[in-house]
This record gives sequence, C-alpha cells and structure tokens, in this order.
Amino acid sequence: MQNLSPWMARNRWIWSLIGILIIWGVLSLITERLSLHSLSGVVASASFLVLAALGQMFVVTTGRGNIDLSIASVIALSAFVSLIVIDGSDERIVLGLLAVLGIGLAVGAMNAVLVLLFRIPAMIATLATGYVLATTTLIANRSIAGAVASPTLAYLAGGRVWGIPVIFLIALVAVTLSSLVLGKLAYGRMLSATGQNARAARLSGIKTGRVTATAFLISSVLAALDGALLSAYVGGAFLEMGAPYLLQSVGAVVLGGSLIFGGSSTALGTLFGCILLVLIVTTMQIAGLPPGTQDIVQGVAIIGVLALAGRPVLKRAARLKPMSEQTAGAQ
Amino acid sequence: MTAAMKAVPFSRAQAELAGNEPVVALRGITKSYGPTLANQAVDLTVGRGEVVGLVGGNGAGKSTLMRVLSGGTTPDAGELAIAGKPRTWNDYNPGEAQTAGIRIVHQELSLCGNLTVAENFYLERPDAGGLRPGWRSTYRDLARQWLDLVFPGHGINVDAELGLLPIGQRQMIEIARAASDPNLRLLVLDEPTSSLDPERSRQLRAFIMASAAKGVAFIFISHKLKEILEITSRIVALRNGRVAWEGSVEGASVERLVEAMGGESEASLRANRNRQEVRSSSEGRVLARIGGAGTAPPGRAVELRSGEIVGLAGLEGNGQRDMLRHIFGAGDSGEVSRLGSVSFVSGDRQREGVFPLWSVLENIGIGRIAGRSGVSSVSAEAERTAAAPTIERLRLDPSRLGSNILELSGGNQQKALVARALAADTEIILLDDPTRGVDVSAKSEFYGVVADMASAGRLVIWHSTEDVEFLECDRVLVFSGGRIVRELVGQEISEEAIVNSSFLQEVSSAGSSQAVSKPVQGSSLARRIIGLMPFVSFLTVLGAMASVNPLVLSPFGLDLLLGSAVALTLIALAQMFIVGGSEIDLGVGAFAGVTNVVSATLLVDNPSLGVAGLIAAWLSYGLLAAIIHARKIPAIVVTLGASFIWVGIGYSLQPTPGGSSPEWLSALFTWQIPGVPTTIVLIVIAGCVAVLIDRSPLGVVLRGFGNNPAALERGGWSVMRYAVIRYLIAGGFALVAGLSLTAINTASDINAGGPFTLLSVAAVVMGGCALLGGIISPTGVVVASLTLSLIGALLGTLGVSTDYNAAVQGGLLLLILVMRMAVDRREDA
Repeated sequence: MQNLSPWMARNRWIWSLIGILIIWGVLSLITERLSLHSLSGVVASASFLVLAALGQMFVVTTGRGNIDLSIASVIALSAFVSLIVIDGSDERIVLGLLAVLGIGLAVGAMNAVLVLLFRIPAMIATLATGYVLATTTLIANRSIAGAVASPTLAYLAGGRVWGIPVIFLIALVAVTLSSLVLGKLAYGRMLSATGQNARAARLSGIKTGRVTATAFLISSVLAALDGALLSAYVGGAFLEMGAPYLLQSVGAVVLGGSLIFGGSSTALGTLFGCILLVLIVTTMQIAGLPPGTQDIVQGVAIIGVLALAGRPVLKRAARLKPMSEQTAGAQ
Repeated sequence: MTAAMKAVPFSRAQAELAGNEPVVALRGITKSYGPTLANQAVDLTVGRGEVVGLVGGNGAGKSTLMRVLSGGTTPDAGELAIAGKPRTWNDYNPGEAQTAGIRIVHQELSLCGNLTVAENFYLERPDAGGLRPGWRSTYRDLARQWLDLVFPGHGINVDAELGLLPIGQRQMIEIARAASDPNLRLLVLDEPTSSLDPERSRQLRAFIMASAAKGVAFIFISHKLKEILEITSRIVALRNGRVAWEGSVEGASVERLVEAMGGESEASLRANRNRQEVRSSSEGRVLARIGGAGTAPPGRAVELRSGEIVGLAGLEGNGQRDMLRHIFGAGDSGEVSRLGSVSFVSGDRQREGVFPLWSVLENIGIGRIAGRSGVSSVSAEAERTAAAPTIERLRLDPSRLGSNILELSGGNQQKALVARALAADTEIILLDDPTRGVDVSAKSEFYGVVADMASAGRLVIWHSTEDVEFLECDRVLVFSGGRIVRELVGQEISEEAIVNSSFLQEVSSAGSSQAVSKPVQGSSLARRIIGLMPFVSFLTVLGAMASVNPLVLSPFGLDLLLGSAVALTLIALAQMFIVGGSEIDLGVGAFAGVTNVVSATLLVDNPSLGVAGLIAAWLSYGLLAAIIHARKIPAIVVTLGASFIWVGIGYSLQPTPGGSSPEWLSALFTWQIPGVPTTIVLIVIAGCVAVLIDRSPLGVVLRGFGNNPAALERGGWSVMRYAVIRYLIAGGFALVAGLSLTAINTASDINAGGPFTLLSVAAVVMGGCALLGGIISPTGVVVASLTLSLIGALLGTLGVSTDYNAAVQGGLLLLILVMRMAVDRREDA
C-alpha cells in the first residue's frame, strides 16, 4: 500500500478509470439496459468530447488559469462550414477539411495574439472571440440548406470496425499522439515548464510565448476537426451544438487528473475523464432525470472535483514557500 | 543564550523604565521547512524601551523568527510570552500580535499601491476612525501627524495614490504607519533604511531613541552593521537558524559580528583572490556591451568580455537588477547589446527558478532542452548522461536526482539551478543574487564554481545584494539612479569603495527622491484618458441615436431605451466587485436569471418560500467564495460550474418562459415621477449604492485585497471573510438585477440572464476597472453599461440585423482591451 500511493499520485488518471468502473459496475447491476453495445455508444459520444478536451488540456497546461472558452463556438462554426463546403460529396472533402483547418488556425492564432500580444486574460479573450464566432455561425446558419454529410466523413464519425466505433479509434490516436507530445517531445517539457513557472521558464531560455501560442492553435484546430466530425455524426448542424463542450471539456480535463493550474497534464486521464463524464450524463438520462437536474449535477460534479483535487497542490505549494503557509495559517 | 531569559535588559538609561516583565519573550523556537531548519531552539527576549539589533546573513532565520513573533508563522516547537503572559500558538495570529502592540515593518513593503496614503493608514489602524462619515479626514490627519513626527519635512501628500510615490517615500509611510499605533509596545523594523537617504535615516534613528525613552521596544534588523552598532543597545546574531552571539552593544564590533554571522572577513576573502591577477580585462571576446544613457559618468560604452566575472553593485533598486534582465533580453545591437548565448540563474528560486512539480534531474535537463526544437525527442537517460559531469563538479548527490526538487535544501536547489545553466552550455551566465538563503559552506563552494565558469571562458555577470560577494569579481559596475556611476577594477574593489560610490552619487544627484521610480506624469494623463473613455463613448452613441431620431432624448424615449439597462447596470456592478478582487464571475448572468425565475414563480405562488429561496441563493454565492478560497481553485471554473447549477435550477423551476411579477415588486421598480425617466433614477440609485460601498472603509479593504492580499493578511485582515463579503455584495447586486428583470418584464426566462455575463465583463473593462484587480470605478461601469445597452438599440435603428449584436459586443470588448493595453504599454515605457 505504501508503494502504491506515490504511484497513484504520479498517475492521477487512475481515479477517473476507477470512477468509470464503479459507475459501469453499478449500472450493469441495477439495469439490464446497459449492454456492451450501449457502452460503445457512450464511448462514441465520449470520443467527440475527447478531441475537444485534448485541445483544452493543452491550453490548461500553459498555466495561469488559461482556459479556452471559444471551443464551443469553433465546433459549431466548423460544423456549419464543413457541411456547406463539402456539400455531401466525397470529392470536396479535402477542400472542406482545409476550410475547417483554416478556421482552427485562424481562431487559435487570434486567441494567441490577444492573450500574448495584448495580454488579455485567456478566458476573456476566448470568451469574446467565441461571441464573435457565434455571429458568424448565425450567418452561416442562414446559408445552409438541407445539408447532408459526405459518406466518408459519415463513416469516420459514425462507422464501426469490428464493432468498434471508428471515431473512438480516431480519439485513441489523438490521445496517443498527445501523450507522446507531452511525455517524449521537447515541446511537452517546455509546455509543462511554462505552466509550472512561466518566469522560470522564460529565464531558462524557453520561448514561452511560442509555447503558449502553439497550445491555443492545437486547441482550436482540434475543436474545428471535432466540429466537422460531429456534423457528420449527427447529419446536420445547429447553433447550440458546441455548447455542451464548453464546460465538459474543462470538466473532463480536471476529472482526468490534469492540474487546473497547469504544468502537469495527462492525455490518458483526459480520455478517461471524458468517458466518465459522458457515462455520468448517460446514467442521468437512463435514470430519467430532467435536463435541468442534469445541468445541476454536472455543475456540482465539476466544483466538487475541483475542490477535492485542489488540495494536494495546495499542500505542495505550502511546503514550497513559507508565504503560503502563512496564508493557510491565518484563516 | 539562556542568559537572555533572565530578562533583565543590559541597556543603559532604560533600566529603570523597564517593567518587571519583558515585552516579549520567545523561547526555544524551532521551525523547519522541509529539510531546512530555519530556526533551531532560538531564544529572544526584548525588554521595555530596549533597542535590540538582529543580524545574520541571508537565510540565517531572521525572517522566520520575526514571522513567528508577528503571528504569521506557527513554529514546530517553542514558547511565547507577551508582557509575562504565556500565549498558545493556536490562538496567536497577526491580528492578536497587533492587539498586543507588536508591529512589523516588512522588508517587502506591505502597502497597497492602489490606495491613498491616508487609506493605507486606515488598513493599519481600522479602530482609529471607525465607520463614521468623514472617516477619511481622520486618517488624513493621522497620516500627516505621524509622518511629521517621524520624518519632519517629509513633503508627502497624504491624498496621493501610494503606487505613484517613489520607494523612499513609501518606506517612510510604512514606518510612520506602524509607529502610529497608540498601543505600540514593540516595533520590528526589517531593513528600514534600505531605501532611505542619510538624512531620513538620521530622523528615523532620532525617532527610535525618543520612543525607546518612552518605553517602546524595537527590534532593528539591518545588513548595515555600523548602523546596528550606532542605534541598538543589545545585539543578537543568528547563524544557520541558531543564536550565534548575543551581548550588549559595548562588547560588539563589526568584525565580531561578521565572525559570529559566519561571514569570512574581507581579508580572508581577498587572500583567495589570486587567480585574477593572472588575467587582465582586455583579453577575451566582447560578449556584452552597455552603452547609451546607462553609463553617465564613465561616459563610454562598457564592454564585458569572455572569461570575466563582472559584478553589478549598488543600493537595492538602483537599476543593477534591471540591467541584468535587460542584458538577458537584449539583442545584438542597441544601447545594451548581447553578443553571445545566455543563461540565467536567479536567487529567487521559488518565483524564478524551480519547476515545483519536477524532479531534480528534470529541473536540470530543461536547460539543455529549452534551446532545442519543440519536436525533438527527450529522454531521462540522455539527460542523466549529459548532466553527469556537471553534477559531479557541483557535488550534487546523484542518488537524489529522482527526488522532487523541493525536497532539497535551498543550497542544493541552487546547485541544481546552476547545473541547469551549465547544461545549457552558454557563453554568458547571468547570476541574480544567486546565494540568497544559501548557507555559508554552500556559498564558498559556489564561489569556486563561478570562478570555474570564468576560467572556462564564459562571461559571468553577477548581481548580488551582499557587497562582500563582489570581492569575487574581476570588475564591479556600481549603479545609482539607474546608471553606472563607477567602475571598479581588480584591487580597487572593496566593500567600502562600493558603498561609498553608491551613496555619494545618491546624495549629490537626487536629493530626497533617491531611488529610481517609474515616471508618473505620463501615466496620470493616460489614466485620465481611460477614465474619460466611457463618458465620451456614451455621449457619442447617444448623439448618434439622437441624430437619427430626436425623440430618443425625451424622457419617455430614454425610459424605453434604457429599460434593459437597469439589469445590465446592476449585473455589471456585481461583476465589478468580483473583478476588484482580481477574479471573474462567469455565472453572474445565470445567477440573475435564476433569481428572475424564482421571483416570477415561487415568490408569486408562495411568498415566504420565494423569499427563503432568494436568501438561500444569495447565501450560496457566499459559499462559492468560501469554496474558491478555502481550496484555492480558480474562480473562473467554479463560477462557470455554478452557472450550470443556476441554469439547471431555473430550468427545473420553469422549463419555458412565463410567470408573473408580484405586485409589490413591480411597484418598487415601475413608479413614475412625471418628467423624470424612472429607469435613469433606478440606475443612478444603483450607482450611488456602489459608490457608497466603494468609498466606505469596507470598500477600501476590498480594494486593498485586490491589490496586495498578502500585505492585508499580514496586517490581520481575514482573506476568507472579505472574499465572502465580496461575493455577497456581488450576489446582492445580481439578485436585485434578477428582481428588476421580473418587475420590468413581468415575466421570467432562465435564458435571459446568460448574455449579461459577457456584457458585464465588457462594461467593467470599459468602465475603467483593471482586470488584475484593485482598481474599480462605479461611475465608469454605470456609464459603460448604458453605452452597451444603447449599442443594441443603435444597431436596430441603423437597420443592422440583431444577429450582429453578439459580434459587435464581443468585438467591442476586445477593442477596449486592446486599447487599454496600448495605453498601459505606453505607461510602462
């Protein structure tokens, strides 16, 4: 047991995995309706969240409370644009993906410029870009007519190989790549350093601006691709389709064990966090909870997990500096 | 050291004044931080009217001991008695210490830069003027009185905003503020003269002597040993957390104290310096050049070459540290230029050195990784191999490479940071006070490493706060007022020469405002422009609307147009108070939405349940603050989560828009005075309430927390209590906003609140508040809210589709922020 606890402290994704297993176990005990097949449905819808949440994870890792609140709008806009550009034909798929990629890069660059050049707090900057994008989506909404997804994209988003949703395989590839970037590439180290202590990172010679900008680009590009796949999955686009991803992408990152203060993230944890979150929502739907209550439960879950997860970090910081020990002592 | 516990002060004239009991007696104080013992069984007794000098090198344990004394830190072991009465640590805190008459003037100043001098006096002495109207003038008088008393002829305007004053004046205010306590028994002065000129230092000494004669005790901490010998009656020297020497001033001398503190004497250091005789400064390649305005008296560019150790000296805050950073950021041309690759070692390990989540090896390895391409691969094995020789040279224990960096002592952490710089293998190494808090043996080892760096052909540029370290340098540049005033080479370098050149220049050049401070005129003009911006844009928008349709300006027209502005104003004011604490509330709009729903449904059907529901909602806002601060988690995510809860509750209560307004509520918001637009009156009332809160003592405390929470906490103000109060105030405004929506629309819609969140942030920013906290402006926010409400209407009159509303509002917010940024940047320049 004594050997186990430091291992668990290092591998914080384990908690979300345990959460998944518990909920799944309880569900299969009390209801017959949760078959392996319905679990694959959960996994498929979690996969869309995974793509958005991985991007969010990169932004959160940059630290200083950075969060990308434009993800929801990027998803909605790229869903519309991909439908309009591709127009149900496989020949135009490259063009559509380029357009979607363009949206991602443009929004990511915009966010990065606002945050780094104009030093606007990330949440305000991304909130505002989100609003601007929402208008663009409204306009796109007017020019869309009876959209159909292209067959290939529809297969990627909704098809199965050996009973496994293709989108889940895509999500797994994304998780693996993110894991490699975080753990094995110099960029991952630089990102972590920036998130832990930006000043120290700068003085160590890291170009923190470039590192942070890259994170915003990754986030927007992933959200844009996600939007295109999502529109193919649901076979259409609507204004509010990105909205659930606003809170859930943050929630999945935190649930997965990445630190909300930045500096340490786990892609595997984010994957489990997404599945756990979707599983919770599905459970509530199976239990027949009204939508209002589902919102409440999600809100409470996010705050609760944050409140619990905030603790070890605080302890660590307290040991680090007498000043914060003072903070804790005087309350 | 136990002799001190007999509690009879050694001193001269005060002997008869001394009561039976010492003012303070600390006994056996022990405190550890991880592996470091900051204090080990330290005893310290201070009698009435005694002036005790406390000396010791950096990291000797002085600050820890003083934090224990002031209630900021609870020791692991030890006892405390105040005026003979034993105290328990559990109920001893900064507030208690102040009540007992113990006050500290900290080295890092604990004033709030966003408040006026008089308001800062309020924070220290909230009891003196109470909550009566006119409390401000009480504190103006108090501030004036005490500044006059301690520093006659100070010339400080007590209504000036503190952040705009030079550091010397701020230090004077800090001292006078602590001294003003009528209950004062013991005043601890931590490096009080570090930014005072000789005349002000003399005034301070006179004040200390006069107060001591009246029975006030002092603990005087200073690196300037001569000053200690002049002013104190008894001296305690700390070394490595223990009392190394203690005795009356008569038995002390500079040499004696230096020896006790563990510093090597100048002579013995000099004996070690034979290596630089070998090297003259004209060899080597030029790696950095300092020219232009920074080099006034030498009058020529200073060139720094490979193989040299160059010291940057001067009194603290005279530009030497800035120069180091300037060199770090410099390009290969310009006034200050750098012609080689560079790495940086900071002595401020917590803030600028360590990566707290990483192992020692990772902390070292990043030095090599930082310069590489982002897509190159990294591995622990490669790092270990690369770091091995350096680790051996620095005598870091290889078995601890896998431990978390924070588990190492300060000295070893610093070694790891040096290893990081060496791993980067750069031509220039910048050292920023690298031996801060490092024990003596680690220091001398470190000096050897620095000498090696230079011998290997690197250029070492070294800023230190300990003048004795400059004896390790080949060349020393002495700074004063942001310029190099003297260049000392080889044998010219001595502590005395450095001190003399930094002080001489000071007196002749700058008079009373000695230290460098940012220029203030430009910033006040820029600020005024920012302050006027909301008003100008309001008039512009109103004018534009009136030119399209003159009826807009009639009372009825205004009432109609501004109907939606009431809720926005209230929500923006709520957001303003949160932003004042440097947080952002993403749930404020949804919260107004839920109160809108509750008041239009529950309050109508079952008034008592409705009132209970509203009160519960309001209190839960305070609970949010408690969660945020108890757990130190980001407000933005918590309030975002909370917004889902609010929407969920509202949706559960009322799935589709509807409901009605209780009659009394409508009556509250929709009365009529002929000829006066009701909405304007309501908005003015809301604004007045916000102004009153902001101008009250409570408002001052809240703004203080937004600016310098650590200082307020040290001053005994509870962070948690004021966080909760802040959120309750915000919640109150948002709640009234929800009620106003019900009364004015006579219906409710849970989705009506959401859009107000972004608008409220926009109004707060546009109104001239700083997103970083501390600076708020209720009138600006009110006017900005009106402007934003009008923009929607203006777009309508201009025939622009409402689809563009969000884009215009989001774009406007960004535009304002970008403009603000541009102004701020000019201020910085």
